[in-house]
Amino acid sequence: MSRAAEASELAALEIRFGPLDLAQVRVRTVDPGALVDELTGRVATAPRFFERVAVGLDLSLLEREPDPLEVRAVADAVRRAGMLPVGLVSGPAFIEALARALDLPVLAPFRLPARPPPVLQPVPALAAQDGDSVALVHHQPVRSGQRLYARHRDLVVTAGVGAGAEVMADGCVHVYGALRGRAMAGTHGATTARIFCQEFHAELVSVAGVFRVFESLPQELCGHPVQAWLEGEDLRLARIG
Amino acid sequence: MTEIIVVTSGKGGVGKTTTAASIGCGLARRGKRVAVIDFDIGLRNLDLIMGCERRVVYDFVNVIHGECTLKQALIRDKRLESLYVLAASQTRDKDALTPEGVQRILEELAADGFDFILCDSPAGIEKGAHLAMYFADRAIVVVNPEVSSVRDSDRILGLLASKTRRAENGNGGVREHLLLTRYSPRRVATGEMMSVGDVKEILGLEVVGVIPESNEVLTASNAGTPVILNEESVVSLAYQDAVARLLGDTVPLRFIEEPKKGFLARLFGG
Repeated sequence: MSRAAEASELAALEIRFGPLDLAQVRVRTVDPGALVDELTGRVATAPRFFERVAVGLDLSLLEREPDPLEVRAVADAVRRAGMLPVGLVSGPAFIEALARALDLPVLAPFRLPARPPPVLQPVPALAAQDGDSVALVHHQPVRSGQRLYARHRDLVVTAGVGAGAEVMADGCVHVYGALRGRAMAGTHGATTARIFCQEFHAELVSVAGVFRVFESLPQELCGHPVQAWLEGEDLRLARIG
Repeated sequence: MTEIIVVTSGKGGVGKTTTAASIGCGLARRGKRVAVIDFDIGLRNLDLIMGCERRVVYDFVNVIHGECTLKQALIRDKRLESLYVLAASQTRDKDALTPEGVQRILEELAADGFDFILCDSPAGIEKGAHLAMYFADRAIVVVNPEVSSVRDSDRILGLLASKTRRAENGNGGVREHLLLTRYSPRRVATGEMMSVGDVKEILGLEVVGVIPESNEVLTASNAGTPVILNEESVVSLAYQDAVARLLGDTVPLRFIEEPKKGFLARLFGG
């Protein structure tokens, strides 16, 4: 297919929405002489930067409502300094009427149409194809002396983990109860694995083999929701929420 | 329907046998037909607490080995006619018990129309304790309000949830009840002892009874009278409440707070 033919199948134009940077000239006076003096001084510092650059006129700092002739004079002053005024920056209520009188557009900050709130889709039932990828979920308390291991996945315990119990996962460990025993995440070396618990009383936590034993529990963590993760070689623990 | 209840704890000396004897008596007094079996082969105690040690002719191991019939070995309680004791052997060790033998005896008792079979477990988590809990429908986990007992009970609860027939067959598991013994509200108030709430929270179970610490328990054991039969004792009332709860009644917990001194006692410094 030739290029011409390809082009002919495309629409004659496209309308695209998106933010474009636009310089704004915010004026405090409508006196053209003062404006030209100020602008030429500024432009002289970086003439190529300001040359034919599109600007919006921001009139929001003026002490009184300007009339259209005054605004036209302001626009002329700006143009004389080498810049191209393309419209009035939206602001006070009078801007709309001025813009109509001068046949200039009102420049409003571009807003994307409000997005619908994200709908929480139920997690697709991966279990049917790939049992390993769904977390191992355990609803009973993990008692002293019991060990629970989630191979190649996360472990979720919806009850407590007793002192002397061990919960391990190749992925993350989540305990929605009191964690009094030992928790080990990333047992095969996943350094991004984390441990989360609802109530921290752990004897030991370990991420990817980096462990910490709690002979006594830090006051700021004890009994609180806590997460543990690796930062480089360091095992970090912090309260959640 | 026969219900098999194991009385267990993991730790020794927390009051398993005292509890098995008193709960057995309590159920029998409520008109149930009850057999209490001592699984502590080699260290038999239940017969002493029940006051029938001189009437033991045949024991649990004799029945398992077919050296006597179950009827010959069951000792009927002198005070309560629907209560029977199957004593442990003092001269054998735990290896004398076999799963098949235990199962056969339990089935025979069920066929005989017993309402409840209480299995008094030995301490520890070895064979005797395992067999005592294996066939259970319900478990009374006896715990003292102190850390080592709570830890051991947690371990036992883990075994109940995995190493029992009900857990293996997946039909609902063993119903677990927590029974606190040797509870001293005064020491809880001073922070020396764990509270009912602490124990409940750590083990994640409701309590079926709280038995206060009392000298009457030792006196009753020495006399061979299950403490529940000592009507004057608060321990008896606490065990009666526990029996009621086991049977499904709703009874509020009592004896868990230090008794308030009466007005006159306070006035006269009594």
